[in-house]
Amino acid sequence: MTTESFEVNKLFEKWIQDGNTKLDEKDLVIQLKSYLESQHPEICGKCTPCRDGVVKIEKLLDKYVDGTATLKTLTELEELTYNLRSSRCSVGLDIGKNMEVILENNYNVLYQPVKKY
Amino acid sequence: MASITINGTKVKVKNGTTILNAAASIGIKIPTLCFIEEINEIGFCRICVVEVEGEQDLVSSCNTPIKSGMVIETDSKKVIKSRENTLQLLAANHRFDCWRCPKDGSCEFYDILKEYDILFEEFGPGIARKDDLIYGTGISQDLSKCILCKRCVAVCNNVVTAKVLKFRDDDGMNPFVSPTVGLEFDQTGCIFCGQCVKVCPTGTLFETDHIQMVEDMLKDENKTVVVQIAPSIQASIGEEFGFDVGTSTVGKLYNSLRLLGFNEFTDTSLGEDLVILEESVELKNRIEEGKTLPLFTSSCPSAVRYAELYQPEYLENISTSKSPHILQGAVIKNYYAPKYLNKKPSEVFVVSVMPCTAKKYEISRPELEVDGVRDVDAVLTVRELAKMIKRKGINFKKLSDDLPGSNLIEFSKATNESKSCLNETESILGAYSNLIDKKDLETIKYKVTYGDTVKLSEGIIKEATVIIGSKKLNIAIVHGGAAMKEMYHRLNNGKKIYHFIEFMGCPGGCLNGGGMPIEVDLPMHEVIKRRTIAMYVQNNEELPLRKPHENEAVLKTYEEFLKSPFSEEMLKYCHTHFTRKEYRNE
Repeated sequence: MTTESFEVNKLFEKWIQDGNTKLDEKDLVIQLKSYLESQHPEICGKCTPCRDGVVKIEKLLDKYVDGTATLKTLTELEELTYNLRSSRCSVGLDIGKNMEVILENNYNVLYQPVKKY
Repeated sequence: MASITINGTKVKVKNGTTILNAAASIGIKIPTLCFIEEINEIGFCRICVVEVEGEQDLVSSCNTPIKSGMVIETDSKKVIKSRENTLQLLAANHRFDCWRCPKDGSCEFYDILKEYDILFEEFGPGIARKDDLIYGTGISQDLSKCILCKRCVAVCNNVVTAKVLKFRDDDGMNPFVSPTVGLEFDQTGCIFCGQCVKVCPTGTLFETDHIQMVEDMLKDENKTVVVQIAPSIQASIGEEFGFDVGTSTVGKLYNSLRLLGFNEFTDTSLGEDLVILEESVELKNRIEEGKTLPLFTSSCPSAVRYAELYQPEYLENISTSKSPHILQGAVIKNYYAPKYLNKKPSEVFVVSVMPCTAKKYEISRPELEVDGVRDVDAVLTVRELAKMIKRKGINFKKLSDDLPGSNLIEFSKATNESKSCLNETESILGAYSNLIDKKDLETIKYKVTYGDTVKLSEGIIKEATVIIGSKKLNIAIVHGGAAMKEMYHRLNNGKKIYHFIEFMGCPGGCLNGGGMPIEVDLPMHEVIKRRTIAMYVQNNEELPLRKPHENEAVLKTYEEFLKSPFSEEMLKYCHTHFTRKEYRNE
């Protein structure tokens, strides 16, 4: 396991144990992206939710980086995350569960930039 | 027995059934995409997910066996949402040019998108995952439409056993399905049986297009376009126009050909009869002279290519006569056209309508020409012919059932009514028996030694022993790639000596050919059964076997053109040779 992904794991421990860990938007998005990228070698490319879903989630996160995200982006992000629950093996399921934890604990961070009023 | 609850209904089902089958037993159809029963039960597409009480995650119904006390929801909000999302993901990597898609209306993926009314928000449809086009003479592949369901891989692996199409995943995130990377289908070990084309839920795999060529030729004033129909077409073309499976529409078929503008049309019965006679004489010669036995039939180009690629030591065994439609093409061009139409062979364009994608490959074989004129110029599958009829604006259902007359039909029609040529082996042995004993063959009782009589779609080996002229002949009928592999294995073992073997590349024979209309709702063996019945509507089962030696059309052809079996003319026009072929399967 690379040191990079090890750091990501530590990050998750922190997130999961301490729900109140606050990250600002930029940090959160970048950390999330690095986590998803670290999972690429694990993905076997066979079932749809994980193979295509993860790539799409990354693209949605890119929108946050660009500043072009809208409310739709967040809805789609949520849907894709929950859809990972239908993955075939635990690689997809784990990514989905971790993403769910992040969304639950940091929803407002992702919601702030896209809220309409 | 286990009792489970599906959508609030209590059901009792056998232990070990999958959720999909349990739901089907009470009339609930769970949508599937990658699923083919007993061939591809891998749960990759995740369309068939259902919610099971007590499980955190959604489970795929196609490969999850039921447990006693399961409470299953097949259409809860969570399930529907997940299916919609998965479909969105699949559609985002599929190029939608449905109006010119070779699948043309029978696309399962399109149907399921329509059923779930998929909306696109962040990701519109139509970005191809990979936009390579892999060419082959028989079948081609358009990777931009692939949704990675792996059906074709499973079929190529298990049913055909050629293992050409593979799931390739080099860097983890860009998987694709293709034959050996960088090669065309012809350079790989593909036998062009077309079973993958039939199972593909999108238009990724398709028969190589010959429609354009035929339509150009129909408009060409200087060409006489002759079309020949394989006998199994009449039993299946109706399916493309909304008739039930197993409706014979022979009159409508010929009328539509006339309306399409073909100058002459006929079926391939003359070619079949000539092949039967030729092969029976070849069998006689080989047995008398003690040459290489068993004799293999050469009618199926898939089986021939299989031997050329994988079993080159058996090339001597294959009968050297051309396959029926090629042989008839040669006869039409070199005998019928000069004599009855006053045309040079090069002015005639012969189109065959076949239930087969391998025949498309066959006409590209360099040796199948006489004096520089190709025997057959184009091959259309049933689906392609149906597309042409629709494009021309012909109302197939309204056409008359009467057979239109044509010089060529008169010329090539079998004079004695007989069974259609589904029973190649029996016809050849019948002709052989007539050569030796001057009497007809008794009914052959087959013993199935591989596969299942019900599940014809998995391949079958039937064996029998017939006594002709005080000599016992061991014969076998082999249908399907897996069965062919098994048969060659048995031949290599050499435990039993065979005299005659009929090889067919497609499980279930030509009625399940790769160019046939695609039937999604019925299991394959049922479709084969119904099509067989439709064949016999025209040709009653009570009818005798073919007797090519009594057929006046054949006798006339022999008298005026081909002289006798294995004459010099025959060898020139009707025989071919086979060579070992190199391939790369990686």
